[in-house]
Order: sequence, then structure tokens, then C-alpha cells
Amino acid sequence: MSPVSATYWGIPGYVIFWALFAIAFGIFIRRVYFLIRLLGLGKPENRFDQLRQRIIDMLAINLSQWCSLKTVSFKDLSGIGHALMFWGFGVFLIGYVLFMGLREGFGISVSSAGSLFEKIYLSLMDLSALLIILAVIQAAIKRYVTKPERLERKEDPKEALIENIKMISLFTTMILLMLFYYWMEGIRYAFNNITTSWPPITGALASFLAGSGISQESLSATYKTIWWLNYLLLLGAVVYTPHSKHLHPLFSSANILFKPFGSKVVLEPIPLEALEAPEGSVTLGVSKIQDFSWKQLLDLYACTWCGRCHVNCPAQLTGKTLSPREIILNLKEHLMEAGPELLANKGTSSPEVQPKTMSKTMIGDVVAEEEIWACTTCAACQEVCPSNIEHIRKVIELRRNLVLEQSKMPESAQLMLRNMQQRGHPWAGVQSMRLRGDWTSDLDIKVLTDGDSVNTLFWVGCTGALVERNVKATLAMTKVLKASGVDFGVLGDAETCCGDPARRAGYEFQFQMMAEQNIEMFKSFNIKEIITTCPHCFNTMKHEYPKFGGDFKVVHYTELIADFVRQGKLNLTQALNAKLTYHDPCYLGRYNGIYHDPRQILEAIPKAKLEEMERSKEQGFCCGGGGGLMWIEEQPGTTKISHMRIEEVHKSGVEMVVSACPYCLQMFEDAIDHKGMKESLKARDIVELVEESMKKS
Amino acid sequence: MNTIVCVKQVLDPEIPPAKFKIDPGTKQVIPPPGVPPVISVFDERAVEAACRLKDKHKGKITVISMGSAKAVDVIKHAISMGADDGYVLQDPAFENLDSFGTAYVLGKAIQKIGNYDLILCGRYSADWGAGQVGSILAEILSIPVVTFACDIQAVNKNLRIKRIMKDGYEVVEAPMPSLITVSGEIGLPRLPGGMGLMLARKKQIPIWKAQDIGADPSPLDKANAHIEVTSLSLPTRKTECEFVTGNTPGEAAVNLAQKLVRLM
Repeated sequence: MSPVSATYWGIPGYVIFWALFAIAFGIFIRRVYFLIRLLGLGKPENRFDQLRQRIIDMLAINLSQWCSLKTVSFKDLSGIGHALMFWGFGVFLIGYVLFMGLREGFGISVSSAGSLFEKIYLSLMDLSALLIILAVIQAAIKRYVTKPERLERKEDPKEALIENIKMISLFTTMILLMLFYYWMEGIRYAFNNITTSWPPITGALASFLAGSGISQESLSATYKTIWWLNYLLLLGAVVYTPHSKHLHPLFSSANILFKPFGSKVVLEPIPLEALEAPEGSVTLGVSKIQDFSWKQLLDLYACTWCGRCHVNCPAQLTGKTLSPREIILNLKEHLMEAGPELLANKGTSSPEVQPKTMSKTMIGDVVAEEEIWACTTCAACQEVCPSNIEHIRKVIELRRNLVLEQSKMPESAQLMLRNMQQRGHPWAGVQSMRLRGDWTSDLDIKVLTDGDSVNTLFWVGCTGALVERNVKATLAMTKVLKASGVDFGVLGDAETCCGDPARRAGYEFQFQMMAEQNIEMFKSFNIKEIITTCPHCFNTMKHEYPKFGGDFKVVHYTELIADFVRQGKLNLTQALNAKLTYHDPCYLGRYNGIYHDPRQILEAIPKAKLEEMERSKEQGFCCGGGGGLMWIEEQPGTTKISHMRIEEVHKSGVEMVVSACPYCLQMFEDAIDHKGMKESLKARDIVELVEESMKKS
Repeated sequence: MNTIVCVKQVLDPEIPPAKFKIDPGTKQVIPPPGVPPVISVFDERAVEAACRLKDKHKGKITVISMGSAKAVDVIKHAISMGADDGYVLQDPAFENLDSFGTAYVLGKAIQKIGNYDLILCGRYSADWGAGQVGSILAEILSIPVVTFACDIQAVNKNLRIKRIMKDGYEVVEAPMPSLITVSGEIGLPRLPGGMGLMLARKKQIPIWKAQDIGADPSPLDKANAHIEVTSLSLPTRKTECEFVTGNTPGEAAVNLAQKLVRLM
């Protein structure tokens, strides 16, 4: 009954089989080759380090389907459907290779008919098919009935129609493939007079067909017809996928393989040689699509349009035009438009020529400046992205170009950056500002001077040293450190900024100079360990300074205090008697995975009743102050991110919002003030509560 | 078009008023620790004006600053914005000079540099605010002076200057070379770009002493100073806070406007 060994119109079946196969895979490979060549337009970047670990990570994430299951919640179960489809089609793919490719195509049998392996594998396929059908139905309901916000896009009607036709064809194809499978296998079992309860559905179908009295000839003819239809449908899918977002099994996996290590967001320094090059030959940051690295372009292919980033972005949720999804999709569209001509021009005398067919400028037409300046770099988008897309890296690269080459930025950003450049901190001009280091007066603290040597440095950070409200937390911190017997020094008025606001705002060289200066200073005092109160300083020094030769042990104070509490070095005895909630700072939580320590400290304070907000830990909502946005004005006419967050705090019914970041504290103080909630809600830093709780009565 | 810009390094005007201290005995300001001095606000705008002209007409910008060795920082800042060269004029004889002495030193340095089409200064310095050096310097160099510029254009080998006035502006023309003092209305100075930051970092800034510019001792002699500081005291600050209200935002705005009109 083998369809391939039969002859059709005088042509042997296997010739047709391989001819169709060659055509379909020819188209597939041609397209994939084109897409990979487009990646080659990008700048080089080394993501091939630790390859073994990368492969292990990718297999673990993919095979376990953690990528799609990590975001499953009661509100959104589609990750489960995706996992079922992935595993189901995985089983089918192997099945197609074994039973269609090898057995029919080459005549090689990996197992004899009726063997235990075949029984088990076919049962697996049998059940997988059912799960796939259920998952497709779930996906279709999701898309056409419940319509979650994340799947909605503002598209023109024509594009939306095309997209709909594609999706419906896809759903139909998947269901047809499964139905064809049952049908074929049922007929095959019936034809061979096999009665079995495993595989169950095929078995039941076989007994039904056997009992229906259909002749062997019709069974055989029907089998052949369906077999060829099934084969055509499969090859159709092979042709279709690389022309659609459904190539993501390939590119998303590749993207997970090449994901950044270490911090959530890895930014590459701009090599200083870039400035030695003749003017115009090197772009600072990214102004054209080919300025991105190949990995940043791969991100564009990896997007599955799932929209999770879109519905988790604080800028988007507060009414700003920024949408991480739209940035990725618009850049991809731009790459597809500009790519062919760029490829044609590649290798000619001027590889940088703008394609003639393209009048679009990337910054402005493809990604608007206001979108670029709305990002708080909170990484909520990257946290939920199933494909490990690096949205923030792109935003920063675009900012770099705006700031370093075009000198275009919001006035508020310019003021902050000028302060960074001239005064070494971002806070000048702020009311109730203090002088650097004046908080150390009247305190018995070791302020480092030339020639000193100390193992542990307490890095105060600009906000903790200069802003009145935050100095309170700094003073509490020094008391806690002393009470715990830590031998530490501070830099006093010699401390400058760690460089984070400059880097996030795209002022990369300023950051690099500050990093180099700080590292040099740390080395001159023989500093080995740095304690920070600011998660932004923490992240910068821990993950970004090593690239500039600064390898220090960097500790956030919540890690340290949690340790002291666990070891019994700190006794928290005074009751707090308050209902409070903990707001996860983005750079502590999502960037560095520190969720447990701060909560453990709060739980150790007697009578502190910790309530969790709806959005917390990995899903924590930004305070609005990261990425330089502490100083950059939010898009006019939109809700302030800090106001939205403080409303959430208010809803949780607590009397205190506790954080572990000076920016969060600042943003909350402002928001509480603005909302007139001063009487009912207080913003505190964990260390202040710790200090109060350890006081002797 | 070759421009020379005179810049001054001053105590950061952003220092919180409460932290501002003076020594009445020596009649000098005591710089607070941990606050780096900065380029004087209007001088930075003068550099910006020079850069805008250079963007259009090419040429060279040279920046000079009389002050301590730390003034290298303000020169480097100007270079990061787009200036080409810079010199620090530092000598014990230059310390605590009045406007005349300062203009004399700057004039000597400018004569040494030579070959200029335009001299730019800030309208006044952010610390003492005398606003005299520019005009005296023009007198010393025997070139025309135009003050309070908010826009400078080079038109047919002449300079067309928009001068800010109390009730608007006027447009005047001056030949090259002239000296122009620049006002804040010219706009925000540019943020130094990547290229500028790195250029400035590498640049060696020469320091010129009195003998390098051929300055005579007599104009630098404090006995010949035209200005004497008799006393120095902190201004007293009084703030009164009043909330202007109204039944509607519109009414509140009207009330506020009326109050402001009365205060003007």
C-alpha cells in the first residue's frame, strides 16, 4: 500500500516524492539563507563564548518549554497551549522523519512493523495529535474570541486581513495534519487487519473502518490520496514558515542560544578606536539598521508577536507611544525593506550608502525619538519575552547615536548629562541638595584620603549623598554597618557618580571615563569589596565595571543585612506594627534576581506585616526612575509611571511602601506628595526600618 | 573665521545657598569641598556661539582662561564642545586682578595668538558679575565692541549681531575683527559629543606665565588697581510663600498674572 512505490501517470512515486521535497526545501533553504545573509549586514559581536553552556541552556529552556511556561498565569494560559504544540510537533517531526522520510523515502525501517518501539511511538503520536488539536482550538479561541490586549495591534485593515488569513490557514493546516494522521493510520491498521487499543484513537478508528465493510481497494486508494495530500500540506508548511513569523522555532532558539550572560541587559562599550577613525566612517551608537550587531538583528527574527512585552511595559501602560513590541516589529519591517538593496551594495566601494528605495531614516521614521526617550530600562519586556529579545540594548544604542552624534535629546536629559559631565553627578539644581560628603561630618567614619588602604568600601551613591531625603537612609546604613561590626571606609567628597545615568541616557564616553576613574580610585585604596545602597550603582559596578578592568566583590546592602540577620549578627527587636508592601527595584530584582533577601529582612522585623502587591518580584512594576528617567521629563499628557505604581500600592491597603533603591524612594515621595496621600502612606527604605528595629529601647 | 573666546572658571553657582561661605577678613569666598568649579554660565554660551559660527563657516576656535591651573578643566570643556586650541594664563602676578588687570592679561595673550576675526566673552561672569572685562578688552585691542548678543551671523565679511534689549532686541553690524559679549538668550550650550569628549581628554593645554605673553609688571601691580573690594558679605535671603487661588484654574491664572504685573 506504500504510496511512494506506486506509479502515477507513468512516473514512479518516489520520483514525485523527492522532486516535491527538493522544490519545497529548496525554497526553504533559499529563504533561510537570505535571512542569514541579512544578519550578516550587522556588525560583528562575540556571542560564541561558553558555547557548551549556551547549548545546554538553550536545550533546557526549549525542551522544557520554560520560555513559554514562565509567563503562564490564571489570566493567560496560552503558554501551556504553546508547550503542548511544541512537544506535540516535536513528536510529529521525529515521526515524519522516521516513518515518512526514512521508511517511505529511503525504504529504511528503524523498527519492524508491530515492534514495541513502534507501538509506543505511534501511541505517543496518537495522543500528541489530540493535544495539538486542543491547543490549536485554545489558540483560535484566544485569538478570535477572548482577544487579549497583548494580541491587538494597530495595523491598517489590509495588513490585518492578510495576517488573519495567514493565521486561519495555519490553524486549519495544523488541524488537518492531525486529522489526516488519524485517518491514514486508521486506514493502515484496518487494511492490515490490526486490532489494538494502543494507540487508542487510531485503534478505535481502525476497528470502525474494519467494521464498515469498505473494500481493501478503496482503503488503499483513499490512503494514497490522503498520504499525498498530507505530504503536500507538510511541504506547503515548509515553504510558508520561513516567509512568516512561524520560523520562530528556528530563530527564537538561536536567539536563546546567543542570549547575554550575567546581567539582564548587557551593553557593549564603544571602543575608543571608534574615535580615531576618520570622521563619518564610524557610527557612534546606531543610526542605520546595519549599525546593529548581527545578534541585535537576530532578535528581530526571533519575535513571535506574542505581545507580552507590550502589555508589561510601564511606558506603554501609562499611555506613552513606546511599545517594545512595535520597536522590534518596525525594525524588522525596516530590515526587510532595506535589506535586499543593502546586500546588493555590500562589498561595493561605499558599503554605507543609503538604499535608494528607502527614504526612511531609522531614528524618526522607524522608531520615533519620543519612544526612545520613554524607556525606563526596567526590563519588564525582557523578563516576559519568550525569545530572550534584548529590547533595552537597542533603545540605548539609539540614544547613544542621538546624544553622541546628533546632539538631540530632551532638554531635561541634556541638563542631567551636563551635570554629569561638569559636576560628576546628576542632581545639581535640585532643591534641598547637600554637598558631597557633608553627611559624614560629626560621624565617626573612616573617610579615605590619599595613601589609605581599606578592604571594604561603603559606596554611598549620588542620591544617597546629595538628596536630603536619601541622606537619612545613608545615615541609617552607616549605623547598621557599625552595629554589625563591619570595618569600612567611605570616599566622602571624593566620591563621584558610578556613571549609570550617563550610560542609560546614551552618553557612553562620559560613563566610560567615570568608570575608569572610579576603578583607578578603588585600586589606589586597595578596595576589594564594595557595599552599595543603590541598585543602579550595584548593577553597574558588579556587571559593567569588569569590562573596564574593575573586578571587585560588589554587594547590595539587602544581601548583606539578610546575611547578618540569618547569622544572628543583627538583632531586630523593636516592633514596627505596620502593614507594609515591598516594591522590587528593577535593578535589584529583574536585573540581579534579588527577591528573597529584602523580604527576609522585612519578615525579621517584629510585627511588620508584609503584603505582596499584584505586580511583584519578576512582574514588579517600575517606579519610573530608571534609565535616566529620574531626570528626564515623561511624555507630556501621559500618566506618570510613579503615580500608577503608587495607586497600586494604595490599592494593596498598606500604610508603608518599602523599597531598597534611592530612585524608588524619591519617585514615591514625589508621587505620595502629588496624590495627597502623605497622611496615609509613607515611603521608606528597608535600611531605615532595620535601623529603627535594632534600636535599644 | 578665527575666533578667540575668553572663559572664566567660577565657583559652581548651583551650590546650595546655605553652603555658600565667605571669609570677611580676606574678603574672599571659601570654596566648599567636593564641588568642582565650572565654566561661567555666559562664557559657556560664548563658546556655543563660537561653535555655531564654526559649524557654518569653518575656521578655528581658540579659548583662553586666566586663573588657576585647574582652569585647564574649563578649557578642556570648551574643546569638548568644539574649540580647537586653548591656553591657561596662570601666574602668581595674575591672582586677584580687577577687571582692568584681567583685560590687560587677556589682551596680551590675544595679541600673542594673533590672527583673529572675532573675540567673544560672556556678558558677565557668574561670580562677580562686573561685566566690564569685555569692553575694556576691546578698548585695549582697539576693536569695536557689541554687548549682550543673542545671535551672531557672519554676513559679507561683517558680523550681524542681534542684541538683547530690555524691551526686545536690535540688530547691528560690526566689521571683523570685533569683540562681542554673549547673553544667555543665545540658547543652551551643546552637550559635548563623543568625539569632543575624547579629543579634550587627550589634548595638552599649555600654561602661559606673565613672561610668556610679555606682560609688564605695572598693570599687574595691585597698587595700580582701579577697583578695591571694601567689604564682602552674604546676601540675606527671605522667601515668602503665597498660594494664589481661584475658583477655576483660569481664575487662579488671572490672579497670578495680576500679582506678577504688580510685582514687575
